[in-house]
Amino acid sequence: MPGDMITRLFRLVVAAGVAAALSGCASMGVKPWDRDLLARRSMAPVTHPNLTGFEQHIYFSKEGSSGGSGSAGGGCGCN
Amino acid sequence: MQLTPDATKGALRAALGAMTAALFLATGASAQDTPASSKPADINDDTSTDTSLTRVDSAVLFYQEAGGRVQATEPVVSVTMNDDSGNSINVKLTADTLTGATPNGAAPWTGTQTFITPVKTAGVQTTTTSASGNKVLVTVPGTNIKAAQYTADPNTLPVDHGFRDQRYAVDLNYSVAVDNVSRFTIGGNLSTEHDYSSLSGNFGVSRDLNDRNTTISAAVSVEMDTSKPYFGTPEPMTAMSGATKGGNRTKTVVDAVFGVSQVVNRYWLAQLDYNIDQVSGYQTDPYRIISVVSGTTGAPVRYLYESRPTSRLRQSLYFGNKIALGPTVADASMRVYHDSWGINSLTLDVAERVPVTRWMYVEPHLRYYSQTKANFFHDYLVSGQALPAFASSDSRLGKFTATTVGLKVGVHMGPGELYARAESYDQKGTSHPAGAPGALAQENLFSGVKATSVVLGYSFGFW
Repeated sequence: MPGDMITRLFRLVVAAGVAAALSGCASMGVKPWDRDLLARRSMAPVTHPNLTGFEQHIYFSKEGSSGGSGSAGGGCGCN
Repeated sequence: MQLTPDATKGALRAALGAMTAALFLATGASAQDTPASSKPADINDDTSTDTSLTRVDSAVLFYQEAGGRVQATEPVVSVTMNDDSGNSINVKLTADTLTGATPNGAAPWTGTQTFITPVKTAGVQTTTTSASGNKVLVTVPGTNIKAAQYTADPNTLPVDHGFRDQRYAVDLNYSVAVDNVSRFTIGGNLSTEHDYSSLSGNFGVSRDLNDRNTTISAAVSVEMDTSKPYFGTPEPMTAMSGATKGGNRTKTVVDAVFGVSQVVNRYWLAQLDYNIDQVSGYQTDPYRIISVVSGTTGAPVRYLYESRPTSRLRQSLYFGNKIALGPTVADASMRVYHDSWGINSLTLDVAERVPVTRWMYVEPHLRYYSQTKANFFHDYLVSGQALPAFASSDSRLGKFTATTVGLKVGVHMGPGELYARAESYDQKGTSHPAGAPGALAQENLFSGVKATSVVLGYSFGFW
């Protein structure tokens, strides 16, 4: 994908994200008694921190990008 | 061995992850407060929390690149102690062992290529390239300097054989529940290897809003790294030689992450993170060279040490989702990234956890990644042309796409979960860039990796 397309996509997603954060959050959500599915351990943002750490470690040592989410493995000695 | 150290990212991600997870689990606790030590009836419907528990999560990564390149083994042990007020302390210990060959940055050629590096100081216990099978000791002509010489076969990617290094790291994080809706975390990371050390500290805050359906968070970290190349730091854009180089170099990373996680509905949790960091200082790979070739034949004329800018501003936006679809759970995310070196990237990731039995699940995983090249990336430089201020042939700074295909399996076993994951990673780039002079046009100039990895882990909680 050409770089300018990714740059435009980046700006679009930033704008959409900010707009959603400002306007949408208050109208979303559930009552406490409707959290049964959300309460599953499998629904946690990071279910296996060590796996996520390994994954981030491999990617930031083999690719030009970094950041995002999860838990990375710390200082690198991997390539 | 070093390159791309990134302790700040790890520390920040860990801090943000801990805050989000803690708040998320808090919402779970309010729905169904079951201690983790009591066996869940169904591993796929487990709503237990870690309140008052100590959790031990240990795992080991086996990583292997195709073509005899890098091989790594990385065991990790993480211990998290939770009290009954929502506070927790986490200690994570990591050990890395790397062996194998790594591209030295030179372009392949139709003839045998010869490279020269300094020799480690006598009596100094390092474990770098000296173990190489294809290196010979030579005396630099006209001097009494001893150097190591190695070769690359014709039409073969030049690699430096025999890299071997060990890294040890410790992460420490303390997470405090200030009240029912507020939390802060403080943490640090120390990582050390033979030729690199990294020290970082982080601090984060988060707050629940909107009846605990929204969580906002912010975290900052500062990282200080020291690069200590085995033979000293070469002067960028000077000729590769056997002479010992200059002293250590440092760099600083200041990183910030701002996040919002949102319960969209009963089935859907979404997360949006904006990450910005500034890297200042030495970011060049001290072991990497770049070929200067003839503009007519493509033959190598000389090899220069690479050079990268000392400042880099990185930004990324991450959008993650967890969605309960019947008995399955989908994890879908997207990341867009931009930095001041000219790299833009897009990452798409999807995994689907599917129950197999009440005590087992499988989770197929797909990831797609695409990046543009840094504005100083060159496969080679052309002799006779003015040298640029910055130049690198590192494929990680070039244009490529990468795909990951993997499968995770989790099994409820004893007091915890046994998990395993196998993945295949494949980079694809421009093997034959337009305009390559002479016989260089027939050479494969893309040095990206194909790798496989296997992780085995076990996680359990106890009182």
